[in-house]
Amino acid sequence: MLVGVGDLPPREWIEEFEAAARRSLETRFRYAFIHTYKPVLDDAPYRAFDSTSAYRDWCEANLPSWLGYGRV
Amino acid sequence: MAAFEYRQALEIRDTLSRYGVRYLFIGKSGAILLGFPDTTQDADLFVEKTSTNGRALATALVDLGFALTAGEAQDIERGRDFVQLKNGPFDLDLVFAPDGIERFEDAWARRVDVEGFPVCHPDDIIASKVAANRVKDRESLPRLQAFRDYWKARHRA
Repeated sequence: MLVGVGDLPPREWIEEFEAAARRSLETRFRYAFIHTYKPVLDDAPYRAFDSTSAYRDWCEANLPSWLGYGRV
Repeated sequence: MAAFEYRQALEIRDTLSRYGVRYLFIGKSGAILLGFPDTTQDADLFVEKTSTNGRALATALVDLGFALTAGEAQDIERGRDFVQLKNGPFDLDLVFAPDGIERFEDAWARRVDVEGFPVCHPDDIIASKVAANRVKDRESLPRLQAFRDYWKARHRA
């Protein structure tokens, strides 16, 4: 959903924020953290990069574009 | 690998505190701690880049169950800018130099405490996502910005 500068956020978003604010942190965690396999990214137990930019480059060069890690 | 659980977050909080590690939750995991209703897969920590802090973090991670080799522990001590761990009880990204935030000290001064969890201010979380400029961040930014405004209004009250 695109929201322009100065636009009010959709009412449903505010309702979601308010509902989340009523939940305990533990419940928010249970709803928020999920795990699905991400090809390539999940295939190595450890990676380290000398710069965040190098990490972004690696993502663009190696990950499927549909994962969304590429820069706009 | 199972999803990151609340009890594991508590273990991070308590273990890193015990070792005196200076860090902040950042990214979507930080936003979720602040109350942002969304989903994510891993936790992202913005870690202060000093050798003392890196050494303490590496020790704490081994205590948490991460299987670090000597070389990997050295990477963390050195504070290589981006370290991705999938060799422990949950997935963890260590970010020593996030996009869009100049100095750890500045983010630390603006941090938000959520039940003992040190979390980046929503402005910093958004700044890092804007600077990263990834497709997935661009898609989630409008809702995250709306949450930031909601959160600020709520915390002013």
